[in-house]
Amino acid sequence: MIFHEWYSAYYRTVREILKAALDHPLRTEEIYGIIEKYAFQESMLYILPALQEQRWQLLYEDGTTPLCSVPPMPYTTLEKRWLASVMLDPRVRLFCDQPMDLGEAEPLFLPEDICVFDRYGDGDDYQNERYQKNFRQILDGVRKKYPLQITMKSRKNTWLKVTVMPEYLEYSPKDDKFRLITSYNPLVSTINLGRIVDCCAAESAGGKLSKRTPRKKCSVVFELTDQRKALERVLLHFAHLEKEAEKIDETHYRITLQYDKDDEAEMIIRILSFGPMVRVISPQSFVEQIKERLYRQKSCEQ
Amino acid sequence: MAYTELIKNFNRVRAYMRDFYVYGFKSREEYTQKSARSYDDERRRVESWLGEYMQFRQTAEGKNVFLSIDSRAVFHNPLFSAWKAKSFTDGEITLHFVLLDILQSAKAPLSLNEIMEQIDQTLSGFSLPRTFDVSTVRKKLKEYMQEGMIVGEKRGKTLYYQPSAFQQEAAEELLHFFCEVAPCGVIGSFLLDRSNCTKQYFSFKHHYITGTMDSEVLCVLFQAMRQKNSVSMKMAQQKKNAPEPFQIVPLKIMLSVQNGRQYVMAYNAKYKRITSYRLDHIESVQIDEPCPHFDALQAKLQCMLPHMWGVSTQGRSDSRMEHVEFVIRYGKEEGHIPKRLEREKRCGTVTHLDRYTSKFEADVYDASEMIPWIRTFLCRITEIHFSEPQLEEQFREDIRQMYRLYGLEDGEKDDIS
Repeated sequence: MIFHEWYSAYYRTVREILKAALDHPLRTEEIYGIIEKYAFQESMLYILPALQEQRWQLLYEDGTTPLCSVPPMPYTTLEKRWLASVMLDPRVRLFCDQPMDLGEAEPLFLPEDICVFDRYGDGDDYQNERYQKNFRQILDGVRKKYPLQITMKSRKNTWLKVTVMPEYLEYSPKDDKFRLITSYNPLVSTINLGRIVDCCAAESAGGKLSKRTPRKKCSVVFELTDQRKALERVLLHFAHLEKEAEKIDETHYRITLQYDKDDEAEMIIRILSFGPMVRVISPQSFVEQIKERLYRQKSCEQ
Repeated sequence: MAYTELIKNFNRVRAYMRDFYVYGFKSREEYTQKSARSYDDERRRVESWLGEYMQFRQTAEGKNVFLSIDSRAVFHNPLFSAWKAKSFTDGEITLHFVLLDILQSAKAPLSLNEIMEQIDQTLSGFSLPRTFDVSTVRKKLKEYMQEGMIVGEKRGKTLYYQPSAFQQEAAEELLHFFCEVAPCGVIGSFLLDRSNCTKQYFSFKHHYITGTMDSEVLCVLFQAMRQKNSVSMKMAQQKKNAPEPFQIVPLKIMLSVQNGRQYVMAYNAKYKRITSYRLDHIESVQIDEPCPHFDALQAKLQCMLPHMWGVSTQGRSDSRMEHVEFVIRYGKEEGHIPKRLEREKRCGTVTHLDRYTSKFEADVYDASEMIPWIRTFLCRITEIHFSEPQLEEQFREDIRQMYRLYGLEDGEKDDIS
């Protein structure tokens, strides 16, 4: 069962409190701090009184505990079964050579139990040993925060050698590709891992580190006509973006989406995919791009 | 009952969370499934769990509450929080920590009687020590054994308990990645919680997090599939006169990475069909008896997959299979367009007619599922044919309506303002 108190934020918080109490007698302020860090906004109202009133008999009035050891959190069968399934995923080779030994735990699911039916077909090659080596080097750079020297092939098929500071890796489940998000070198803020030929630790970044360029955010507003279940389809499709939906009348809604400027071309075709159920209202530049495409379509039909 | 931020039944918040996150335009009055007080309680809970993402808008109809999350900007799925809000009793949490401490500190496996003595001893320092009866502790030990947290060893007639010897720990980076991308990823986030990981190794683009809310349903379906069993399902919005719950044989989980929907492809014996059910529409699911035809049904589905664009196994027409084909034209600098056809097609074939023209064709159960994708090629479609005339007419009429929406009725460039 997934929904179980063992996995709850309260159990985790109490474990942290007990861990600290085994080290030294806890003051109320310290308990507050732990609750704030590990539990929810209102948890203070419940956890502290429960401990202080000794409804949960785990902490004495003087802030010490009758327990003798740091409370263990053994892996449950469900967790081991989930991990056993993960170990069958080809992407696990990006992290380790040998899958974890999970004893007798049967996988919760097998790869053939699942079909991702709309993933693009040109994803990264996770079985490629060079790709695996580069991935691990980059992940190490992300973990330990050191600069990397990367040799890659550009989109125009030219060779590039750059020094970057790795920030984190970005994965798109739709594209099935990893990208490295970097700082230091503003000309290459994003690198597709599939294009990297070689990667190693750089001796030094050299020069002054520049900060990562923040993503340029744009918004688009459209009116949605709720026919053929368009409301649900559109809102689910754009669920991953920051958005605001407003009901105009029984069948019409105004939707505002925030998206990255770099993804504008993709946003245009995604909006076009909903046909006449969606009419872009603003910004005008976005409207013009839709019109331009429709005009060109009309020309195709003549 | 007094309000608390924890809940006993996850289904209480499942629909509210989805409404706040996916829709977000409903006012308090529009939440009609339960009472206004229930709405207030669930809203307060969600705010406590996910306060930083909660937003409000005042409209003429009242205050609208919604969750606004840019899933590319957050490194850990915030909706996992809801799964960490299970309620428990005072006795349960006390016994949990005391029991595990006793077993962890013991030099040798302990019998139930020895455990009982040590519980009393551990709690004796409190002014009003809590007492647990033997049956409660035995039940708890049995539960922990079933979940693999402790192991029991029988010596004669007595069972001796000790902590599980499993010591391995999965790497943080591995857990961070897979808890976001693997099915039932919330289980990985429980593991990640143990290491108190706050590092930001990965972010996710096109990341749909709504499916998290259906993890329990998905988990039961996986278990049923592994055992080749049928299940009884109850849908959230049951059709009138439909028997509830009804039985199906789950065969495969279908996941969309373009809208986050999750489905189970299942055989429904009543209709003698393999069909899809959306996981977010399933209220509850229970494992039933083994299905003797499981392998044959799964093989049948496997043969169907090459003709499924999405999850539909039946179109609007009476035909078993529907044919669709279209031709697109592109310019010299648009080499990415034919590549798009190749990488985005899920079935069918692409033929490159010349350097600037390509044709796509497919035979599928339901051609209407392909229409949104075909529309993404608008501005370059030179020919299109559906075997179902009605579908073709609707496609063409939709495009005419789009011309009208944007004032392009006459098709003159000058018309574009």
